Amino acid sequence: MTERTRLSEAFADLDGKLALMAAKAEESLLKAQHALATQDAGLAKEVKRADAEIDALQLEIEDLAAVAIATQQPVARDLRMLVAAFKVAADFERAADHAVHLAKATATFAGQPRMRSLDRLSAMAETGAKMIRGTAEAFTRRSAELARQAAAMDDFIDGEHKALTAEVLAMMRERPEEAEKAAKLLRTSGYLERLGDHMTNACEDIVFMVEGVHVELNA
Amino acid sequence: MSKDSAAAWPHDRNRPTFTPAPGGGLELAPSALDVRNLTIAYADGHVGVRDLSLELRRNSVTAIIGPSGCGKSTALRAFNRMNELIPGTTTSGKVLFHGIDIYDPAVDAVQVRKRIGMVFQKPNPFPKSIYENIAWGARLNGWTGDMDELVESSLKQAALWDEVKDKLKRSAYALSGGQQQRLCIARALALTPEILLMDEPTSALDPLSTAKIEALLDGLKAKYTIIIVTHNMQQAGRVSDMTAFLLTGDLVEYAPTRQLFVTPRDERTERYISGRFG
Repeated sequence: MTERTRLSEAFADLDGKLALMAAKAEESLLKAQHALATQDAGLAKEVKRADAEIDALQLEIEDLAAVAIATQQPVARDLRMLVAAFKVAADFERAADHAVHLAKATATFAGQPRMRSLDRLSAMAETGAKMIRGTAEAFTRRSAELARQAAAMDDFIDGEHKALTAEVLAMMRERPEEAEKAAKLLRTSGYLERLGDHMTNACEDIVFMVEGVHVELNA
Repeated sequence: MSKDSAAAWPHDRNRPTFTPAPGGGLELAPSALDVRNLTIAYADGHVGVRDLSLELRRNSVTAIIGPSGCGKSTALRAFNRMNELIPGTTTSGKVLFHGIDIYDPAVDAVQVRKRIGMVFQKPNPFPKSIYENIAWGARLNGWTGDMDELVESSLKQAALWDEVKDKLKRSAYALSGGQQQRLCIARALALTPEILLMDEPTSALDPLSTAKIEALLDGLKAKYTIIIVTHNMQQAGRVSDMTAFLLTGDLVEYAPTRQLFVTPRDERTERYISGRFG
């Protein structure tokens, strides 16, 4: 069996950059969650700053994959992996954007008494962080099984989003003067729900990368 | 060839073998060649192709790929009985063309090669004028129509007409390699074949000539069935609708090209096409 050195090097490079990108996105999400829970405005700013690094990593991954396609003529699993790298990197980038959205909510809820809905946001963010980590691991270990496990966590996020929506609607009816906060809660919850969807999409792409079949996870 | 088999042989391409369609109407059989259990052995006992079965689709380009010595050229030559020209070669199995086995003793190999033409790796024009390269073979094969028209239409189909229309009397050897290869394609088309076999037709050509021939194939498949053997996997990916992967004489995988190059089913195909073989 002949190994294709240049292509193998490109894959190792891609794995490293995707793992780093995921680690940064996960860190941002957990920092945003902590910032919201502890009303730490400084931490929220850090999340915003880290976003530029994550965007830059996405471009590096795209360049690496594009050069490998142009110069190595990959086919079959090699090609599927490079295509997956493009797509998964884009999903991590979106996940990091949603971490920023969560961090931005910190200011809105400064000085607020503890609310059940904020706890739900916190739980969603924690699960989202686990999904990001699981997705990255599934990619770098080329494991469809790990991808399925990571995607399965989306059910929890969806359930919390649904429960939060019901709570916030009740809150709007009871205390119309808090409509602005209610709207922010709904929007932020919606972002975290989207984050779960992005990771699910990434996991579907990883299953295609490994098994060569298109699947819909959590349909 | 006996009188009976001559009548059975599908001479008129407007009168091919029809099979009843489910609705009761008539439709052309979907496969241009139906290869069944084809085994080809050389005089020294080496088996070039082992128990090959595949249906080659009409009006499409089928690529046959595989490492050197895998039997791809041997298989291609079997599709118009060219292996018979190699002493000691034995062939078993069937190659059905319009339902008739081309290896049936009653079938004339010359007739087979007229209906199933071949273009070789190296351009091999006759040492004659461009015009005569096309006219000569057609005349030998009994063409009695308007020769100028046949020459023009054949050269046009091979995308060569515009480049040579003012120098038809000049020697074919004055043409570039790429032009010579298109002349050989025109020469094959002048015999109005149904199937065109191509054995690495661009391996001796530069990228620009290669691109011209590849573009040509796409146009030709509306009228002909093309089977191309190629070493160049990117070329197989670019030009073919179906791809067959042969390895040491065995057919490993035969699938739509887009499937074979993105999600091959066999690990050996995966390794070969991604350059990890050997």
